[in-house]
Order: sequence, then structure tokens, then C-alpha cells
Amino acid sequence: MNIHCLGISHHTAAIEIREKLWFSLGEIPPFLSSLKAKYMSEAVLVSTCNRTELYYIPRENSLNGTPVWKMLAQAKGAPQEVGEQHFYLKSSADAVEHLFRVASGIDSMVLGDVQILSQMKDAFSSAQEQHCTGTITNRLFHTAFHVGKRARTETEIGEGAVSISYAATELASKIFEDLSKRTALLIGAGDTGKLTAKHLAGRNLGQLLITNRTRSRAEELVAQLGGKVVDFERFPAELPSVDIVISSVEAPKYILTAGDLHLVMKQRGNRPLFLIDIGVPRNIDPAANRIGNVFLHDIDALNQIVDQNLAHRKEEIPKIEQIIREETGEFSAWVGGLEINPTIQQLRDHFELIRQEEVGKHLHHFTADKREEVELLTKRIVNKLLHTPMVTLKSTDEPAGTEDTRAKLSMLRHLFGLDKKSRP
Amino acid sequence: MRVLITGIQILLPFLYFCTIWAYARSFFSSIRIAGTLKTPLLISIIVVHAFYIILRTFVFGHPPITSIFEILTLIAFTITLVYGYIEFKTANSSTGYFILILPFFFQVVSSLFIKEGSEIPTMLQSTLLGFHVTSALLGYAAITISAVYGFLYLMLYHDIKSSQFGLIYKRLPNLEVLERMSFTATIFGFLLLTVAIIVGLVWLPRVLGVIPYTDPKLFGTMAIWLIYAVGLTAKKVVGWQGKRIIVLSMFGFVIAMFSMTIINMFFSGFHRFY
Repeated sequence: MNIHCLGISHHTAAIEIREKLWFSLGEIPPFLSSLKAKYMSEAVLVSTCNRTELYYIPRENSLNGTPVWKMLAQAKGAPQEVGEQHFYLKSSADAVEHLFRVASGIDSMVLGDVQILSQMKDAFSSAQEQHCTGTITNRLFHTAFHVGKRARTETEIGEGAVSISYAATELASKIFEDLSKRTALLIGAGDTGKLTAKHLAGRNLGQLLITNRTRSRAEELVAQLGGKVVDFERFPAELPSVDIVISSVEAPKYILTAGDLHLVMKQRGNRPLFLIDIGVPRNIDPAANRIGNVFLHDIDALNQIVDQNLAHRKEEIPKIEQIIREETGEFSAWVGGLEINPTIQQLRDHFELIRQEEVGKHLHHFTADKREEVELLTKRIVNKLLHTPMVTLKSTDEPAGTEDTRAKLSMLRHLFGLDKKSRP
Repeated sequence: MRVLITGIQILLPFLYFCTIWAYARSFFSSIRIAGTLKTPLLISIIVVHAFYIILRTFVFGHPPITSIFEILTLIAFTITLVYGYIEFKTANSSTGYFILILPFFFQVVSSLFIKEGSEIPTMLQSTLLGFHVTSALLGYAAITISAVYGFLYLMLYHDIKSSQFGLIYKRLPNLEVLERMSFTATIFGFLLLTVAIIVGLVWLPRVLGVIPYTDPKLFGTMAIWLIYAVGLTAKKVVGWQGKRIIVLSMFGFVIAMFSMTIINMFFSGFHRFY
């Protein structure tokens, strides 16, 4: 199996190096076309913020020792500090297994990352449009997509929030059934608060109100996320009609006390109120959590959800590795079949030619009624002679596509002169 | 026919066991095959159990309400049926284990002790009485389910409040869905109990010639009915939500259980006909 993967990722290089080798979707097609023209029969380039990987099948004797990593670095005009030590090169079954690990999300920086699969699909489509894919990479990538799908449906690798902002959104959807009927209030313009509001908006949130001491920052956020600006001094008046509060301001004392919230709960007819306090020091009096139907969570609680979910995702890795083993085995067998079947066919043709020649030379010695028997008899002899080597080749215990199988095939081709144009 | 009845009688507890196994495995371990099997198993139980009840009614000439063990199988069936309806309506099957464990136990006890074709007291031969008992049982089944959902609501409420994000948090539907499931079951229960009370109070004395107005069971049932009436008014008119309404619903359930067990066993003359 002559498949290789040359890559750079968060495992081998820091962001400063990785970003130098990041290919935009516009940069990929010309680069792949140039590789295909000179060096490779098939090539697919996957480039995300955490990895740039080239999957390729080299043309015979085309590379002549030219390091592929240098081609990548030169294509991006990367400076001197990008070196061989930042890359990894995997070949044959290792390259296939690596691609499957990437597709399943277990090689991602955020374990179980769901975005990688769609990024891989884009990369593959781009290579296909440039006619840079072929029999092997087509099958390889479709199998990888299948592995990704199996990982997500057969295991819980993508389950649960693994960031503070997602954890807060997940908590909201454990309290409320339909966020489209809910209103959220974002107090402050910090990054985590903003991300949480963004995720909530992504879940079809009914209305978003944003307040900040500096009104212009709130207006900027409204321009990005939609919603309505509320004056900072007036936000408590909105609380009776708000269902979710995300607070992340710097304040020396609580901006909402338990007493305030008691009053708010009376005004809102005791309807559930979800408060996310991501301010440090905390913005909301923790005693408010004792009020019925008030759900108050701070950064520690959200971190706890993230840690638990990450631990659970880690527990799922062995199941995914089993899926990868199965799929790598099947893929290798398929590639092996691609290599073995032509040899078997050629061997059959070779024997058949000898048989026909020899029978042709001597057939006139037989009477007409015996000639058919001679044909049948010689065919049977040839079939019996070929039977054992054919069966052994097809049912070898070694995984197809390995160096050993290739060596055996090579020996067979050499012994019977299959690579010569005409029979000696 | 009797061989078939005995066969199903033995089969039913096993079917219930397989079903709650599937629901439990799906909830606690997310086993894929269990998740795929659970709803088909539930449907098969409803079909087999309905067939069993119809078969018994035809073969023995009366609905299965003449002994406590006949009633248990009917309760098991009604709980399963009401749960099946709720699962279908809410498209959420994660809570099945917590509900179906009840009919499993009821069916095991029923299958072990149920007798065939025992003598039927004359008063149980009234069709109206069958109607009264059936609607009362369906009502109790519904409020039992409502209470189980109430209990699940309180567990999830507690876990979210105290930042415990374990299995309950991960697998149960959200608080509003649990509240809605509990509320749907309560509405069913309340309507059916209303029917049972009306039939019991107005029509049965005419048919049976007995006036059960002094029956302690009657007071118990009226108390249950009033608690649910207050709860439904509080929810629909006053706008009560969340934990408060759930606690009230569970209080109604406790009184209902008290009425079904203690009052039946020790105080009620009229309702002790088996």
C-alpha cells in the first residue's frame, strides 16, 4: 500500500509554526495541481487550524529523495524556523489508521471535535475538483467519513459540552424545553459571556438583551449577535421577564443579591430562572441558589461539567480504536486485492498461453473425437497446478498490502517473468 | 384456550423483564442494541397484554376485576398503556425504566397468584361496576405515572441545583419536559377519577341498591380528587410552575396510595368485595 501522510499538527508544532503552514481553500487547488503534475498520482490536502496534512501516492521514482515537507513549506513561503522536526510522515497502514483517527476526532486538540469531519469533506471535494484523487484516495476518504460517522453514532465521543460556554448552553437546555420562547440577558462583554450568548443564539434563542457599563461595547455586541441593548442601570427592571442571565462583569460586590432575586421571583410568578455567573469575583450572591426555581451556577460548576464530559469522551477511545482497527483491516484487504488480483490474472493468462501453444503443436496427433478430451484434460492440469498458489495468495494470514505480501508478489512475478512484455 | 392463558401468564413477566432490561441498559449504559429494541418490546408487551386481558374476559365471562391479582394485571397493563401513550406523544423514551418497573412487579405478583375462573360475586357482574373499576384503575395508573415523573423531576431539580452532573443529569429529559409528562398523566388521572367517582356515586347505587356514602374509601377518593383539582387550578389559573406543582402532585399520589392500600385493607367495608 503506497499511501503516505505527511503532516504537521498540534502534537508536533506550536501555533506560530502551524499557522505558517495553513492553506486556505483557495490556496489548496493550485498546490495540489502542481504536486499531481510532477510527483504524485493522487493527493489530498487537509488544512485546519490545528493541522495541515497531505495524503498522497507518489509516482514511481518521481520524488527521488525530495522531501515532501519542503514542498509544503516552500508553497507557503514558510521561513527558516519551519523544519523537518515539525513534521511526521506515516506510510501504508499507519497512514490509513492516522486518517481514521483524525476523522473520528480522537486525534483532535479538543477530543471528539465534530468540525473536523466537515473540514475533511471540504478538503476531499477540493482535491476531487482538481482531479487529484483516484481509486485509492477516493476509497480511503470515503472510508474515513464512514469511520467518523460510526464514531459519532456508535460511541459517545461527541457527547457533552467541552467548553464553558457550551456547558452553560447545555445546562440551559436541561432546564428549558424550548429556548425559542426564552429571553436571555447578557451582563458584561467578556469573551466567555459573549460566546455563551452566541451559542444560545445558535440554539434559536427567543430574544437576547445585552447590557454593559460602557454602552458602546454592548452596541458592538448587538451588531454581532443581534438582540437589544439595555442600559446598565436599568437591567434589574428587565429581570422579571428574563429567563436566562449570563453575568461576567468586574464588580467589587454582588450586582444581584439574594434579596433582589427573591423579589424578582415573586414578580415573575416563580417561573424558573437560570443564572450563569462567570464573573471573578462572583457577580451574584450564591445564597440565591437556595430560592426555589432559581438555578445559579458559577464558573466552577461549568468547569466541572467540562471535566466530566472530557473524562467520558476519553473512556470512549478504546471503542473507537476498535472501529479503526476493523476499518483499517478492511481497507488494507481491499488495497491488497487491488495488488493481488492483476497478478493472479496475469499468471492465469501466462499458463493458458503455454497450454494453448503446446496443445496447438500436438493436437494433430489425436483423432477428432479425442481432441476435445485433450483440451479438457490440459485445462484441468493447469487449473490444478495453479489452484494452491492462488488460494494461498488470496487467503494469506498477513494483512494485504504489507511489505511482505508485496515481496511475495514481486517474487512470483519475477519467477514467471510476468513483468516482461512477451513470454521468453 | 386455558393453556394459552396460562402460557401468556408465564410469558408476560419475562416480556416485562426483557423490556425493562432494554430500557435500563439504554438509560444507564447507552447500549445501542437496547436502545433499538426497547420500543418494539414495549409495543409487543402492550399487544400481548391486551390480548391476554381480552382472552381472559371472553374465556371466564367477566373482565379481570374480580380478585386483587386480576386487578394487578389490569393495573400493570394500564400503566404500560398510559406510559406508551406518553412516550409516543413526547417522543422521549429515556424514562421508561422508571415507569415500567412498576407493571413488572405487579405482573409478577399477578402471574404467581392469579386463579382461573373463581366464583364471581353477584355484585361484580354489573357492567357499570366494570366501568367504575376500570376508570378508577386507569386513573390510579395515570397518577402513578405522574408521580414517577414528579419524582424524576425532583431528582433532576436537586442534581442541577447542587451541581451534580451525573447520569440523571445526562440522560433525563429537561425539567420542563418532565413537568409536562407529569402534567399530561395528571390530567388523564384526574379525568378518569372524575368518571369513576360519578359512576360510583350516582349510577352504582341505582344498579346495586347499595348506597356507599359512608364508605371511608369514598372520603379518601374525594380527598385525592380535591388535591388534584386544587393543583390543576393552581397551575392553570394561578400559574404555579416547577417544583411547587410537582410536590403537590406527589402529595396527591401519596394520599392515593394510602387510599388504595390502608383504607382498602382496614377500613372500607363496601370496597372489600374480594
